Amino acid sequence: MSVLAAETRPKDASTSRVLDVQGLDVRLGRFHLLHDVTFSIDRGERVGLIGESGSGKSLTSLALLGLLPDDAHVSGSIRLAGVGHDLVGARERDLAAIRGRDVAMVFQEPMTALNPTMRVGDQVAEVITIHAGRGGRDKRAARARAVELLDQVGLPDPGDAARAYPHQLSGGQRQRVVVAIALANDPSLLVCDEPTTALDVTVQARVLDLIVRGVSARDAALLFITHDLSVVATVCERVLVMYGGRVVEAGPVTEVFRRPRHRYTQGLLAASDLDSAAAGGRLPTIRGTVPSAGTFPDGCVFRSRCDHATEVCATEPAWAGPDPGNGFACHHPAGAERAS
Amino acid sequence: MTTPAISVRDLRRRYRRPRTSVREPGPVVEALKGVSFEVARGERFGIVGESGCGKSTLMRLLAGLDQPTSGEVQVEGRTVSGLPEKQLGFLRSSLQLVFQDPMGSLDPRMRVRDIVAEPLVAQRLPNRRARVAELLEAVGLGPEAGDRFPHQFSGGQRQRISIARALAPSPSILLADEPVSALDVSVRAQVLNLITDLVGDLGLTLVFVSHDLSVVRHVCERVAVMCDGEVVETGATQQIFADPQHPYTQRLLRAAPSMRRAIAGAGAADLVGDPS
Repeated sequence: MSVLAAETRPKDASTSRVLDVQGLDVRLGRFHLLHDVTFSIDRGERVGLIGESGSGKSLTSLALLGLLPDDAHVSGSIRLAGVGHDLVGARERDLAAIRGRDVAMVFQEPMTALNPTMRVGDQVAEVITIHAGRGGRDKRAARARAVELLDQVGLPDPGDAARAYPHQLSGGQRQRVVVAIALANDPSLLVCDEPTTALDVTVQARVLDLIVRGVSARDAALLFITHDLSVVATVCERVLVMYGGRVVEAGPVTEVFRRPRHRYTQGLLAASDLDSAAAGGRLPTIRGTVPSAGTFPDGCVFRSRCDHATEVCATEPAWAGPDPGNGFACHHPAGAERAS
Repeated sequence: MTTPAISVRDLRRRYRRPRTSVREPGPVVEALKGVSFEVARGERFGIVGESGCGKSTLMRLLAGLDQPTSGEVQVEGRTVSGLPEKQLGFLRSSLQLVFQDPMGSLDPRMRVRDIVAEPLVAQRLPNRRARVAELLEAVGLGPEAGDRFPHQFSGGQRQRISIARALAPSPSILLADEPVSALDVSVRAQVLNLITDLVGDLGLTLVFVSHDLSVVRHVCERVAVMCDGEVVETGATQQIFADPQHPYTQRLLRAAPSMRRAIAGAGAADLVGDPS
């Protein structure tokens, strides 16, 4: 058992809420990319966002950082603890002040996230001085703090590593630097978008451990985006399943992964469960492929690939569950026969 | 039937890195440090290891795309290593490859029909049109797919095209280098099913290289674990996964996140093993 999983969170949700996304809707050109995405994350909570490519995961994360393209039409609201205004519709200048301070991001590809012409220590120090305000721009202190952070993320010889350029480090080490930059200002929300997909398993294990430890040491909220269900199960307490730009199911990891209700979640779990399938035997699959943007069916987005779809699926299924963080949207949920 | 499909004996490959000094030659990297194994006919053989362990060098040597520094590769009893390309005709018809990145291994300016027919052209095989239609059907693509270009397909469909091309000259051995690593979960299951079906139906020998232990476990009967240019452990898949002997194999297995262990309460710290 992990010690980290045993943490208890305060019950009063109103004071500990870090992120509150309500009815987030994104349109780009003639494409309706996100539909009414609603979720929240409390302090110290680790939430996974899963789904296949093209389901809207990365778009959601970009919306949280105000990094959507200028011509995107965004509606709904994104509130972040400690920020007085809504992130939707905020001015770029206000968003720039928030990014890297209140919300930070770890991207999939550390080589493109780092500046190749700058020493990694300076890149960590930069994010500290930028947000330090007029009085606190002590370069030397920031550099010392950068070395400290590089030490915290487990780079060997942090003093030397700080003087290295990104290309001199291995993939895992680079991702550690990116994590150090993200954690530099103790953000209240850390967003990780497929942070370990490009890494080897043993390196992935250490980076995941590092992210979980870094987040819990700061009591920060974590939104962890991945297509790897076993990684989400290992890292997160709660999970949101996205498909076709909608959250189709949400709930505690153990609940959703043990007893999926939405047929998409069920299919995803079955297709990735290589342990249960007979060796060399056939795997359960979801037929077809994820439609490209704008070609999802109306009504239930999954009905074009669902074996349980009927006529009623042409109408949009209502959210069934006590709150947006717990429930599913499916006309023919799995396990309904047992539940009645 | 006693000749193995592939036999590798004490295979070594050294590379010289680009020089960094005017006076000294570049440093030498030993990508393979004496690798030996045999793959029986009709066997599904997995090679597992992390980046830099020598997997890809080994694949290149098996396919005759590179020459070993020392050691020998035999495919169906015939020596491959040390031969010039002109004498490797037999290998090109008996052993074919599927790569990880289908977009990088399919010519974007060629129609799918011509891509799949290319090995047939190269080996001057007859009845190309009929064979291409047959291949496209075998990998689950309609005949109209032949008229289109690779970019008009999704990742999983592109991998189907690569598989169709690999099967064109009716090889007896298929080398698959991370064939499903770039695919989404639901599509990965489809492509894995396709590979295992075709390998079974056509009685192929499969060499499956992957960093993903769960995929290798599902597909392969026997596994070789590679680390730092050496095969550190070989054995029946079930045995290796149930009772790994080498410390590296043990570390690798522990580091792979598993749904079952996670639901039972394992966290990220449990993947790391030795507490640091």
